Amino acid sequence: MRRRCAPHVLPAPASGCSGIKLSATRSCDSWFFFFFPPPFEVESQEQSGGGGGGPTARVVSAGGCSLFSSTLSRSFVARRDFSLQPFPFAMAGAIIENMSTKKLVIVGVILLLFQAFAFMVGGLIAPSPTTAVHYLATKCVDTVKQRQETKWFMPWGPNQCDKIRTFDEAMAKKIEANNIVFAVHIPLPNKEMSSWFQFMLVILQFDIAFRMHNQIKDGALVTIDVSLAYRDDTISKWTEMAHSFEQRKLSCNFTTTKTSENEGRHYECDLLPFMEVGSVAHKYYLLNIRLPINERKNINVGIGEIKDIRLVSIHQNGGFTKVWFAMKTFLTPSILIIMIWYWRRITLMSRPPVLLEKVILALGISMTFINIPVEWFSIGFNWTWMLLFGDIRQGIFYSMLLSFWIIFCGEHLMGTRLFAAWSLERGQVKMCESGLPTITELVTELGSHLTNNLQDQTERNRLSVYWKQVGPIVFGSFCLFIFDMCERGVQLKNPFYSIWASEVGTELAMAFIIVAGICACLYFLFLCFMVFQVFRNISGKRTSLPAMSKARRLHYEGLIFRFKFLMLVTLTCAAMTVIFFIISQVNGGHWHWGEHTVQVNSAFFTGIYGMWNLYVFAIMFLYAPSHKRYGDEQSSGQCITGDAGANSGEDNQLTTTITHVDGPTEIYKMIGKEAQE
Amino acid sequence: PWSRSKMLDGHLLLGWLSFTVLVHLLNLPGPTAAYFGLTGNEPLSILPLNSLPEENIGRAHYKLCDRLKLEKKQRRMCRRDPGVAETLREAITMSALECQYQFRFERWNCTLEGRHRANILKRGFKETAFLYAISSAGLTHAMAKACSAGRMERCTCDEAPDLENRKAWQWGGCGDNLKYANKFVKDFLGKRSNKDLRARVDMHNTNVGTKVIKAGVETTCKCHGVSGSCTVQTCWRQLLPFHEIGKQLKQRYETSIKVGSSTNEATGEGEISTGRSQQQQPLPLPGLNDQIPRTMDLLHIEDSPSFCRPSKYSSGTAARKCYKDKNCDAICCGRGHNTQSREVTRPCQCQVRWCCYVECKQCTQREEVYTCKG
Repeated sequence: MRRRCAPHVLPAPASGCSGIKLSATRSCDSWFFFFFPPPFEVESQEQSGGGGGGPTARVVSAGGCSLFSSTLSRSFVARRDFSLQPFPFAMAGAIIENMSTKKLVIVGVILLLFQAFAFMVGGLIAPSPTTAVHYLATKCVDTVKQRQETKWFMPWGPNQCDKIRTFDEAMAKKIEANNIVFAVHIPLPNKEMSSWFQFMLVILQFDIAFRMHNQIKDGALVTIDVSLAYRDDTISKWTEMAHSFEQRKLSCNFTTTKTSENEGRHYECDLLPFMEVGSVAHKYYLLNIRLPINERKNINVGIGEIKDIRLVSIHQNGGFTKVWFAMKTFLTPSILIIMIWYWRRITLMSRPPVLLEKVILALGISMTFINIPVEWFSIGFNWTWMLLFGDIRQGIFYSMLLSFWIIFCGEHLMGTRLFAAWSLERGQVKMCESGLPTITELVTELGSHLTNNLQDQTERNRLSVYWKQVGPIVFGSFCLFIFDMCERGVQLKNPFYSIWASEVGTELAMAFIIVAGICACLYFLFLCFMVFQVFRNISGKRTSLPAMSKARRLHYEGLIFRFKFLMLVTLTCAAMTVIFFIISQVNGGHWHWGEHTVQVNSAFFTGIYGMWNLYVFAIMFLYAPSHKRYGDEQSSGQCITGDAGANSGEDNQLTTTITHVDGPTEIYKMIGKEAQE
Repeated sequence: PWSRSKMLDGHLLLGWLSFTVLVHLLNLPGPTAAYFGLTGNEPLSILPLNSLPEENIGRAHYKLCDRLKLEKKQRRMCRRDPGVAETLREAITMSALECQYQFRFERWNCTLEGRHRANILKRGFKETAFLYAISSAGLTHAMAKACSAGRMERCTCDEAPDLENRKAWQWGGCGDNLKYANKFVKDFLGKRSNKDLRARVDMHNTNVGTKVIKAGVETTCKCHGVSGSCTVQTCWRQLLPFHEIGKQLKQRYETSIKVGSSTNEATGEGEISTGRSQQQQPLPLPGLNDQIPRTMDLLHIEDSPSFCRPSKYSSGTAARKCYKDKNCDAICCGRGHNTQSREVTRPCQCQVRWCCYVECKQCTQREEVYTCKG
């Protein structure tokens, strides 16, 4: 983090405001820069309305540590909702600060209700998210040599194949391995697949019996000749969808001793990824699997005595898809509307939007991007890339969310760094950190003009400041993207492809995942460090808070409140996510709650999805610039002239215009009272 | 086909044992608690599975259902679906073979020859308990397997009219096979409320069979979230191989609990008490009138006969093949064994492919064959 203690002197631009006592006029709206005392002794004469009057600094003490006492004469006009901000890059007065506690509670309760609703929709209406169906491959015999035309073997139903039950039977009939076809029809009899199932992935399991003289060799590879076909009614011909030769590594272990006593017992084999299709556009699927033998090429030699092939297909439940789509369809306009509303507010301000505001907008956009229910198209169209597209959308949102946290912390860190400067106003604060610019530099900087400062601000306002923190996010998500493209991207062409099947692929995939993991660790280190810094600053400055002028205190209390609020909400959301994730993992599906069955997994998905939507919604709503400044003229604005500091005395005044329609928060009420006194 | 296949796995004994399955057995007189499979009163002659053509067209399976000698309700369930008949048959084979495999080194070698089996079933031995348990376990296992092989017309998502069935599947998938199998077995074997102790013990042992299957279920999960992460994962339940089930049941057979009854004159009800191991005399426990201990243990009422000499329960161990230094002493009941030396030509140094092709040399060996003296 930058450890710069540069002064941030922002002379008030000419605005026609006297600065001492400010009546709420429209012309002051743009006057949101207000003068800020630098962290060293500075005497700054600020002519009211004098943008040209640069501050002059007088350095009293030098050395490693500088003791400053500020004798400032400043004019300090603070519009409480907006111009309270000392710096443009810090957020303008947000709604959250201006909202009365009561309203905040109401908003919170409404959000919580929606949250509960999201959980209930998943838990009570939706079925479990996915279904796993077992299939036991039927062993068909390719009797006649009709290889010229591709023949499809049906495990059951009309035109079913010639079956054998065991391979002992095949042995007796002298059937060759190449003539044995494992047939699996998806789904089971009397059922049909539907495009509501969204995706289908199939896992392969071999039942391999242990035989003393036919053991699985180390690192045995099984070569599978597999073809996939589909049809949409029970009578028409099968249409080939994919055909491939695949290799899978058998990783099996035999738990008991390898003696002849234990012959016939099964190996324990790992699951093998087999197939993944990104859309289920057809009603019936047929898999024909062969395990050809070629001794010369050492294909399928030493793979043990395969007894059976079992498949497990996993697809999303139609009911869950419907609930999910409904949720997305409902959430999209909600987020979209609040986003437009938010951005309108930003653009209505006379200053350009600051980084944090842009990031919040980007967060909203990525949320909308994830929300837009383009999946509806998958019902009508056979879009196999939907799975990949969903991954990409999620990836974008996650990286956006992570970036948002970093930038939010960063911006508040700077805000509080300035805050450190603020407290110097009271004098007696040591600034002896290393990396301080030399006094002369400071002076020069102090002496610099608005343009300089603006330059500084724009510098801070740039994303590039955060390259260290955002870099890992971008790089990590890029790695995952590449990995995803390698796996799911290739699967668009060949549904049987698996990156884990080959040695190189496994290493590559692992490399990507490890890099992404390192990036994640780096990111969290940065984030924790930043949060720690912000808190350190906050707690450090809290002590000097009471001695501060009220307006400044308000401003910083607002800043702290804003930060702490987000921290709290974020931590709650993250904790909820983790807790519900664990619950849904541990609980294994569903709870019985009276007569109702609560689908914990579905509740987790809808609830967490709803939660992050509400989170983004709340951020956009609460952190939008307050609208109060637009209603200035009409509102019964009152001017509070506060004494800004006992030491600096003089005309160090604060004028706060309270133009709230909503009713002030406690702090402002207090000020109002005092002002009246 | 069986004997030929066993040439490979070296289990000559098992191959030999399996012949007994093929023996045409007598019809059993219907004992009170003869349910199905090894405990049923059907002849086990239908076992060679490929003897029947696979045609399920029309009512071919009715014939099979009739041959299985089922009760009225069972026959109805059998006829409902052509797959059921086939599955029942497979269940019998599975449990019979497993029983023989597990008892291959015991005095009672799970001989399933009709008369002996029927007599054992009439009593409350440990062996009876095992037969009941392996029977129901076999049926559950076979049923779940048949479901996943698509052999059954209705499986999970059962009990609903076709349209609703389809809707249920489209909305939320169906329950897993094991659930269905358990339900089927429960229905099929019936829940008889019987006051007779033996019937209740039999019922208990039947339930132990299904419970062992249930307890042996392994949950396997697959992660398929973003980039294959575990944010989304699907779990399913997987049955243990039937060999494992057989092994566990054999262990339960060995630690079977004896329950005894003291007849209450007034009510005629049996009171049940438990006691571990055979030597311990069962103690009559008043107040436990209707309770069978809720355990996963197998229960028996009487001590088993020795099975050494030919009796109504077995043909004895005379001329049984045994393994020297291993089980000859035990099997032959101390009568000693005959040693026969003979030349055997058998395939050796086999090269086996995963299926159906074995390349062997023919080796001639001298082999000692031990059989129990009569």
